[in-house]
Amino acid sequence: MAYSDKVIDHYNNPRNVGQMDKSSDEVGTGLVGAPECGDVMRLQIRVNPETQVIEEAKFKTFGCGSAIASSSLATEWVKGKTVAEALEIKNTDIVKELALPPVKIHCSVLAEDAIRAAIGDWKKKNNVAETAEVAVAAH
Amino acid sequence: MTSVVTTSAPAACWACRAALGGSPLLCAACGKVQPAAGIDYFQVFGSVVGFERRLTIDTAALEREFHRLSRRLHPDRFARATAQEQEWSLAATALLNDAYRTLRELVQRTEYLLKLEGFEIGEEFAGKNKTAKRQPPADLLEEVFELNMQLEEMRMNRKMGESDPALHSELTAVSLRFESELAKLDNNLVEKGAAWDAGAAAGDSAGRATAAKDMAAQLDRRRYLRNLVRDVNEALSTDKES
Ligand code: FES
Ligand SMILES: [Zn+2]
Repeated sequence: MAYSDKVIDHYNNPRNVGQMDKSSDEVGTGLVGAPECGDVMRLQIRVNPETQVIEEAKFKTFGCGSAIASSSLATEWVKGKTVAEALEIKNTDIVKELALPPVKIHCSVLAEDAIRAAIGDWKKKNNVAETAEVAVAAH
Repeated sequence: MTSVVTTSAPAACWACRAALGGSPLLCAACGKVQPAAGIDYFQVFGSVVGFERRLTIDTAALEREFHRLSRRLHPDRFARATAQEQEWSLAATALLNDAYRTLRELVQRTEYLLKLEGFEIGEEFAGKNKTAKRQPPADLLEEVFELNMQLEEMRMNRKMGESDPALHSELTAVSLRFESELAKLDNNLVEKGAAWDAGAAAGDSAGRATAAKDMAAQLDRRRYLRNLVRDVNEALSTDKES
């Protein structure tokens, strides 16, 4: 399959690969899988407790090029955003940015799921209510 | 007994008007090929599956019926028939082959049946229904992820020209464990398939739905395991070549 230049760039040169301390209260970890293909992705965020700004993001993906590019892009996008802003990121934004073909849409869904799971984990650790998420889900 | 097959194919032969008893692709009375449009795989092998969408299948009977129909539908036999019949025989042969290849394999026929019944599974539905979250149990994800990390380590070692015997034997053990889990999973699919068949025969739609949900979950799990077994074995074989 022909990958777009942006996918190839992220694939060859992934941003923010790595991991952070799972047990830290400031770190939220999302581990998700795509049942369509069996690929797995872990995305982590470190949130400033005062400002709720995501200051650092890391990922590790075992999957196709599109999944790697999607998660690489996702870490770039969430950095500098507040938690509430990061929840506004849609897989369709990723599809557009990376010019993913229809059969690769689920790879971007995986990245969106990973962001949500990481934020959900952080919220649970810090007893933050899920209201922001409800508002987003109603879009 | 209630049949779950909803037949959209014509019930009578276009040529002699005899009722189509065995396979809807072929008239048993006059031997003419029938149009293949709107016929599903279970209907192609109607006489083998008892004219139902069922999962417990006598694969020996399936194979016999496949060979019988292959011969009778072969395009060579219609070389002197009308252009329309020649076309139908080509279409019927293609459908017959697809139907046979799908129904003879447990995993494929289960996926096919679930799709036919409107359950969204597999790559075809990838991303179309992103509200339906089907995340596998967390421990499975953790395990798959951890093993991938180990695999990566082994590949890196290889690149550096090193080999870690402990890691190698650990992964060999993992590969065996996962293969046996795959086998268990397949047994489970057979069991759930039988539950589906029983529910279908009894007109028990709740029982069928439960069995279908179970099977969809098993198939999901199977995809993670299958990838992992494939990757582990691949890594092990290149590791050995060192
Ligand atoms: S093919 Fe499954 S995540 Fe890309
Ligand atoms: Zn006839």
